[in-house]
Amino acid sequence: MKWFYRIVSVVMAAIFLLPVIWMLVVSIKEEGMKIVTVVDWFTPPYSLAVYDQILNGTKLTDWLLNSVLVAVFVTLLTVVVAAMAGFVLSKVPFRYRAVAFFFILSGLLIPGEAIIIPLYQVAKDMNLLNSYEGLIIPVLASPVAVIVLKSFFDGVPNDLLESVQIDGGGTWRIFTSIMIPLIRPALASMAILTFIGSWNNFLWPFLSITDDNLFTLPMGIPTLMSQYSEDYVKPMVVNTIASLPIMLLFIIFERQIVKGVSLSGIKG
Amino acid sequence: MRMNKWRADVQAFLFLLPFLLVYVLFTFWPMIKGVQMTFYKWTLIKKMQYVGWDNYRRMLQDQEMWDALWHSTIFVLLTTPTMLVLAIVLAMIANRKSRLQKFYRSIFFLPSVLSVAVASFLGLFVFQPYTGLVNSVLHLLGVLSDQREIFWLTETNLAWIAISLITLWWTVGFNFILYLSAMQDIPDEIYEAARLDGANDRQVFWRITLPYLSPITKTITMLQIIASFKVFLQIYIITGGGPLDQTRPIIQLIYQTGFRKNDLGYAATMSYMLFAILLVLSIIQYVINNRKGANA
Repeated sequence: MKWFYRIVSVVMAAIFLLPVIWMLVVSIKEEGMKIVTVVDWFTPPYSLAVYDQILNGTKLTDWLLNSVLVAVFVTLLTVVVAAMAGFVLSKVPFRYRAVAFFFILSGLLIPGEAIIIPLYQVAKDMNLLNSYEGLIIPVLASPVAVIVLKSFFDGVPNDLLESVQIDGGGTWRIFTSIMIPLIRPALASMAILTFIGSWNNFLWPFLSITDDNLFTLPMGIPTLMSQYSEDYVKPMVVNTIASLPIMLLFIIFERQIVKGVSLSGIKG
Repeated sequence: MRMNKWRADVQAFLFLLPFLLVYVLFTFWPMIKGVQMTFYKWTLIKKMQYVGWDNYRRMLQDQEMWDALWHSTIFVLLTTPTMLVLAIVLAMIANRKSRLQKFYRSIFFLPSVLSVAVASFLGLFVFQPYTGLVNSVLHLLGVLSDQREIFWLTETNLAWIAISLITLWWTVGFNFILYLSAMQDIPDEIYEAARLDGANDRQVFWRITLPYLSPITKTITMLQIIASFKVFLQIYIITGGGPLDQTRPIIQLIYQTGFRKNDLGYAATMSYMLFAILLVLSIIQYVINNRKGANA
């Protein structure tokens, strides 16, 4: 029985890993090689010539940079804006607090995909199409982030805040120097999830951007791929260049990412 | 926090302002604006003319719309149960004490960080006939004889299988992590007690592990159904909705109607069909989740 488990485990791991390894290996193969069996994919001759062509001859690196820029701004702003909202919903006893909370909660029921057509019209009216602002601003309000962060602020004891207040600390100071450090792990997890979400966001950039200087990776990749045929090397180089940064990020932040995912499931 | 009422109101407003501004302008306002659009002939350039309920009448009789809705449903039906089973199996693998435990966890989650475009194109090449990874491996293992090829992407049923497998590979990581953390929350004593009572592996799984996972299973099922209904790019890249639009999902149809056929009004109308379906599913999910909360 033990052996059965072990074999299943190894086979599963192989299935999950093989496509990624294949992508990496094919990307360093020489172009135009004849492939008869699967083994031929993994044997020399290797060459990095195509990397050179793609890095210098296409806009892939620009798109990579766009993806990074957009994701960084979206992540920072989403988390800051959501933390501010979650904080007052949790700790400040203002009028209409319940109304504000339900207004934001109801946002969970509005799927972005279903309002993307009117969003296009609204963004067009505001001259936001084909701009970085247009890629970033419309996606910043995340009700999920507010609600998850609110539940973490709820966990901070009120006595602590009141003692700071007695010392003369204002609301902004309480927020920045007490609350934010206390829920830093939750913020980090939220930030990483937001980053991955933005990195993968396709539909909105696809509709709102037509200028190829502003493409992000999910749009740029299909555009490039449509020019390549037959050989696998160029597409795999494109895939590899597009994936290495995020895979590296995953290796570095694996623990936070895993924690972020389990948080989102419990709260979501 | 204590503070006087007036100050609390002002400060809360200022703290909420950035969020509410974006939220109202880019979520609520489009939602309302969209309703208006459904009553017009509306092109990419401008609002044309009021058409009353025409877009709705047209939609109800539009076979293409029902087909696309059905294709999205097929995708949900294919991926949801398989996703649950796969996620549990992977979580059990990564939950077993072994030297490779951490390695398994990383490997199973790794594809989830890839961009949807990368995962889809990788899938597209993996399922190519003759030289693609799947057929090559099947040839090597002798499962597929050398003379035969499987044309995954040009036959509707096979295309669905390929699309589903790629999606499972790419997205199972999230659900896998949810199951894994739920499994790690099951107290060891319960397993030990069961072992002392002479329970075998199968009994432990069906009588202890699975019941303990049932709350998270409910959550994952609903989230998965909702997410799968919104499928678009994988299919768009892998089959383009083909062969003969046989795999085209509803979001692709909405996109094509709005941006290729220049008919935003009708595209918006179909969006609200999708909205209605997702709303019902979300409410069901909310009810299920809250009932769980009441019991806990």
